[in-house]
Amino acid sequence: MVNGFYPQNLDEALDLLSKHDVVPYAGGTDLMVQDKPNQTYLFVGKLPELRNISEDDEYVRIGAAVTFTEALASPLVPQFMKEAVSRIAAPAIRNAGTFGGNLGNGSAKADSVLVEYATGAKICVASVRGERVIPVERFYKGRKELDLAPDELILEVLLPKLGIDDYYYHKVGGRQALAISRVSFGGLLSVEDGVITRFTCAFGAVSGTVLRYPDLEAQLVGRTVEEARGASEKVIASYAERMQLTRGRVSAEYRKDVCLNLLGDFLASKGI
Amino acid sequence: MSDISFTLNGRPVSYGGSATDRLLDVLRDTFDCKSVKCGCKEGECGACSVLMDGKLINSCCVAMGATQGSDIVTLEGFRTTERYKVLDKVFAQFSAVQCGFCTPGMVMAAESVLAQNPHPTEDEVREGMSGNLCRCTGYNAIVNAVLAAAKEGNGLW
Repeated sequence: MVNGFYPQNLDEALDLLSKHDVVPYAGGTDLMVQDKPNQTYLFVGKLPELRNISEDDEYVRIGAAVTFTEALASPLVPQFMKEAVSRIAAPAIRNAGTFGGNLGNGSAKADSVLVEYATGAKICVASVRGERVIPVERFYKGRKELDLAPDELILEVLLPKLGIDDYYYHKVGGRQALAISRVSFGGLLSVEDGVITRFTCAFGAVSGTVLRYPDLEAQLVGRTVEEARGASEKVIASYAERMQLTRGRVSAEYRKDVCLNLLGDFLASKGI
Repeated sequence: MSDISFTLNGRPVSYGGSATDRLLDVLRDTFDCKSVKCGCKEGECGACSVLMDGKLINSCCVAMGATQGSDIVTLEGFRTTERYKVLDKVFAQFSAVQCGFCTPGMVMAAESVLAQNPHPTEDEVREGMSGNLCRCTGYNAIVNAVLAAAKEGNGLW
């Protein structure tokens, strides 16, 4: 085959990746749009090691070559992820597009990646040198810049499975289907005995990477819902001060307004 | 390095070109499947929809290397089936075709919707066909045709 390699298992794939200048190809929905016919692809979409969804005590582990359609059909994948993934493009793209590809493309607009940020997911990568597990926010170093060496392959997403039922998700796109996110927002707010135990907010499509501000999130943790209600304006103002957004397909001002509106709506939906 | 082998409309075929070539282009230019239309080349319009291993995909977003060992069905293959006859009839009956450019993709998407869900609701048809754009019909005629196919083709899907 010209311009392509067909590894039969993961070891063979990692060996090829260490010796040749190849681009891993799973679903192809981003790579084919980039339209670079002179690249050489390493076809990993059918590797059994990348095709599983499994769980352990802490994580749902989603293989890099699992498609969005497969995730939507899996009882193991949490609703938060399903809601985000169900809004990706349209069925034909979801039948091909994969979790590994969504990460590897390096975009802050990647809908599955937003949920990975909001839930504190980790990414497992492998090479002939061994495996590494990296928190998603460190995996993204900047716009289209990943902590992924040329000989490394994305293996799976480790999605925390506990404490992610109380989520909020909203995608703002130009239309219902086939819409790239203009702003996407995902957050978690858990309350136990009237006290907030977890608060996360992830903003997608508004900067070089998905954004999270752990120190601002800490403002609400440990407070009662009533205390949080009193502090919500201050919390939103702290985000307004901190968020430095860039212009993309839409203006930075529009992005910021929408982000803050969604944050306010998220808090209001939780009675804050 | 060997050729890429796959099944096209039930027939084993092979392709000796580059693994990075687009399935869309190869279907049209090498295998003369002209039903497969090029509308956008970025997975946004659905005019190039075909079935790959039974699943609806945009052939513009598939590299030939990924077709190795797979089963591809285009409208040229699907049109020999009983299911096609039902869709052909209802698309005509509901005037679901105007210029016709999106129609092959629409028919393949309709087949995909009904194969997964033989009795879909209107919302399920709209969701299932949401990746296929049509500039002429305003969609209602197409959606109504697919809903009618579900009734008329009872037992075929």
